[in-house]
Amino acid sequence: MTDSLLCLSAATTSPLELLQLLQLSSASLPIGAFAWSQGLEAAIDQGQVSNAEELQAWLTTVCEQGLAWLELPIMARCYDAWQRHDVDSVNHWQQWLLASRETRELLDEETQIGGTFKRLLKQLGQLPDQLPEQSTYCGYYALAASQRGISIAAAQLGWCWGWLENQVLVACKTIPLGQTHAQQVLNTMLPVLVRSCEFSRQLADDDIGNTLPGLVMASARHEYQYSRLFRS
Amino acid sequence: MTLLSAAAELPPAVPEVAERSWPASLHLRLEAGEQRTRLARMAFHGPLRVQRPFYPEGDVCHLYLLHPPGGLVSGDRLGIDVHVTAGAHGLITTPSAGKIYRSDSQNGQQRQQVQLTLEAGASLEWLPMETLIYDGANGQLSTRVELATGARFIGLDMICIGRPHSALPFLSGRAEQRLHILQDGKPVLIERLLLDANQPHWQQAAGFNGCHVAATLVAAGLPQPQQIAESLREQIPELAALKQPEQFSISVRLGLLLVRYLGNNSEYGNQILRRVWAQLRPLLWHKPPCAPRIWNT
Repeated sequence: MTDSLLCLSAATTSPLELLQLLQLSSASLPIGAFAWSQGLEAAIDQGQVSNAEELQAWLTTVCEQGLAWLELPIMARCYDAWQRHDVDSVNHWQQWLLASRETRELLDEETQIGGTFKRLLKQLGQLPDQLPEQSTYCGYYALAASQRGISIAAAQLGWCWGWLENQVLVACKTIPLGQTHAQQVLNTMLPVLVRSCEFSRQLADDDIGNTLPGLVMASARHEYQYSRLFRS
Repeated sequence: MTLLSAAAELPPAVPEVAERSWPASLHLRLEAGEQRTRLARMAFHGPLRVQRPFYPEGDVCHLYLLHPPGGLVSGDRLGIDVHVTAGAHGLITTPSAGKIYRSDSQNGQQRQQVQLTLEAGASLEWLPMETLIYDGANGQLSTRVELATGARFIGLDMICIGRPHSALPFLSGRAEQRLHILQDGKPVLIERLLLDANQPHWQQAAGFNGCHVAATLVAAGLPQPQQIAESLREQIPELAALKQPEQFSISVRLGLLLVRYLGNNSEYGNQILRRVWAQLRPLLWHKPPCAPRIWNT
């Protein structure tokens, strides 16, 4: 998608939808996303990420080479499937996503946040009658966005923002990274999020997925890291 | 279908790499016999064979896959299909490293597809030597493992990218390695490594971290895999050690035990992963390790 189309999709988001997107992407959404570090805490512990530059390089790789190839295209497919009430298709893509979670930690994060998200939507009276077998964060985020009439382009950006904010907070607590540096990293990453969301929408089904060995190693090693702040 | 005995008499000649482009396929079927696992069917097309099965430990059928040309050039298509029935146990390896050579001037693709099907209660050890991806390659490698209930499986796959020891690093080209594992028809592991000399994640810490050797050992059907993972970390301290960029990791998810290596030393990676295999074999099959002879050379 070109920049102009993206502008169009952002412009067609109504003020109410925009606020709903902010609500959905806020760190205060009670789904527990803040508790996980996605291998970043281990990468910091192992000395691979020790300052703002290295953090930015790590996050750029994870976003452009990881999220853009897996989570974002699968979220879009779940979004379409929810809109068609096609639970089989939601099932298929959620299963694909979970099988692509190469470590227990990454898998647990996806399913536990997904399960909490599902309970939240249930308590809000916003669950459809027919539900897929499994719960993933991506899948339920797509459902919540589609129910609120948020476009997929906006939803992907919002979800990426939640991811980025969370990762930078991990770095603030563990490197530790100062508040100003954190804001600088956020600034630099914003265009990366836009590029990644655009890229993800061009991927064919057969091209989904790109294993990042360094991220996978860090996440697995975090599972048995001696002491840690974040869940595993 | 060709008689099994024909396979042993293959000429060892290696044709000129630039002059050929052969599709090749091999279908194997392993069945449980009264005393030992039989190679019940072997069909091949093109230059892909299996040596006469041998039985160094009595019952398990050990097989060497042979690809006499020694590597893939542009236009090559290798298809390997192994079916293991209930109660049968096979161990398959290769006598030498697989190679994905530099592609031709048209950048023709080189493809290898492996399908391993394990029926309920079947056992397979898939232990090929590493695959070397040459500078300028355009390779597509895919391994699909279908496990039925109670199937027991160990797979060990290593790729080496470029040949930095021969001063031939991976500066151009592309290769893709897919691994799909299905349990009772549902995907439980999907990995897709995209090696593209032009992609920036090559040198990045979250990507390949500048390393040129990556390997994954997968074990399915272990009783209490989480406990086994913990005892492996105690028994093989190298698994937890970190000497950047050399590192191993272990994780257990969806019933699979996964041990990974990322580094620059294929011999070291293999040495440790084979120790893991040796520890797992008694737990999966109540059998001591019986290493393929090629591992000792």
